[in-house]
Amino acid sequence: MEAEKGKTHKYLRERRPVPKEVTEQLKVFTKTKKSILNALKEGDKTIPQLSEVLNMPKEEVMFQLMSLLKYGFVETGEIDDMDEYFYYKVKDNGKDKS
Amino acid sequence: MPEQKETLEYDVLVVGGGIAGGESALNLANIGYKVLLLEKELTIGGKMILLSKVFPTLDCAACITTPKVSEISRHPNITIFTSTVAKKINKIAEHRFEAVILKKPRYVNVPDCTGCQLCEEACPVSVTDQYQYGLVGRKAAYIPFSIASPRAAAIDIDNCTLCGACERACPTKCIDFTQTEEEYLVKVKSVVVATGFNLFDPLKIPRYGFGKFKNVITSMQMERQLAPTRPFNTILRPGDGKMPDNIAYVLCTGSRDKTVGNPICSQICCMYSIKQAQLLMGALPMADITIYYLHIRAFGKGFNEFYAQAQDMGVEFVKGKVGKITENEDGNLILRYEDIESGVVKEAEHDMVVLSVGVLPNMEISETFENKNLELDPFNFVGQPDILASPAKTSIEGVFVAGTASGPMDIPDSILSGGAASAETTSYLRRASL
Repeated sequence: MEAEKGKTHKYLRERRPVPKEVTEQLKVFTKTKKSILNALKEGDKTIPQLSEVLNMPKEEVMFQLMSLLKYGFVETGEIDDMDEYFYYKVKDNGKDKS
Repeated sequence: MPEQKETLEYDVLVVGGGIAGGESALNLANIGYKVLLLEKELTIGGKMILLSKVFPTLDCAACITTPKVSEISRHPNITIFTSTVAKKINKIAEHRFEAVILKKPRYVNVPDCTGCQLCEEACPVSVTDQYQYGLVGRKAAYIPFSIASPRAAAIDIDNCTLCGACERACPTKCIDFTQTEEEYLVKVKSVVVATGFNLFDPLKIPRYGFGKFKNVITSMQMERQLAPTRPFNTILRPGDGKMPDNIAYVLCTGSRDKTVGNPICSQICCMYSIKQAQLLMGALPMADITIYYLHIRAFGKGFNEFYAQAQDMGVEFVKGKVGKITENEDGNLILRYEDIESGVVKEAEHDMVVLSVGVLPNMEISETFENKNLELDPFNFVGQPDILASPAKTSIEGVFVAGTASGPMDIPDSILSGGAASAETTSYLRRASL
């Protein structure tokens, strides 16, 4: 079968099933992304604050938040009064259409 | 089964596209030899392209690497295969080698990719970014990093959901999921081994808590935090995003340590730690930096002055062997160490710990040679039977070694070694025509 250019993922999907862990991983990320962005929409937060609100370990919040920063969903705000933790906010022109 | 492709012919096969292999390839290509450069990663440039600055000059590593990498990429006499490994290499006769190489699919047609990153934006998947040493995520459709060469996307097929978002987003239709593994037979006259080194994995020293305590990181992770292509906007603790103000370095992590099977000095850790300490003082002016060391080995040109400069800047040097690291509730770390000067066991609190991990041999290449034995030295680096007279010579006539494949060394020495390997390769090739 000759695969159509621009639709070759369909060609591979027939030959290589996507492992369950991979779809599971995507679900977790999408869920985490949503919860972080929703929490930030209610106000700028630091990582310890997000961790408390979301009941998620700080290192997990850190990793996911930094990834969202890299992907352009979040931006860095001011640093707190103790010069320890930065506040993070949803990027104004957020590409998040969810 | 990988797809069998045609036979390729070159003068020299260079295995490894780091700074040493790149230097060898460039010199050989400039003389007029046709070179095939193999790189197992998605980009050439090796470890150097990922560094922040170099010691002792504090020159920007990327600014030295990228022009060289572009020169290698554009050279008419150099062919680069990324995502490719040598499976077997056989010596048929003098000046006749045959190699079987395996090229893994990138699922992107590189010449058509403009590096626009629209696929990256469209990809819904987020996984750990290996090029940022796990500090941040990346997409399954991704460009390794902004100064990668080739600066082209790749699909991480193991984490791809085959949703097709990247293909729909790609303006040049360069994504191609029909790609498969390709195997080539390569005929060459000589081989340069420039397979570099592995970093010590600190999980092997559980008492340091790496992996368990998130604010204990490796020096390579700190290097990434200091680099222009860094993962965060500033230096942050991976455990909670706090800006650290009291950082400790633990030298000789995985070097000069028989208990982890590596009794030798890695030669670079003292200096890169001193370098990072100086860079950190620039990035975090209020921070205290303490370096726990056994001996400071500042043996190279300008090294001791660089060490003195760090002392003048206020970096604290403690001659002490760290026995154990424990974590406080706030994520701070307690270092229990033997103060060697006083002979007393002490404890100190820091809010971030950097393990200065050592250099380990990358042994895989020796198994690639089938009918001849590429001998390793007692520490499993590529052996140099004639180290004084011909340092690039290996146990196989016509196979030369470049860079850290032969042992720990810094960047200038790696480049020198790459130069030496290209000179000895040239001399070997010229003998063929005499």
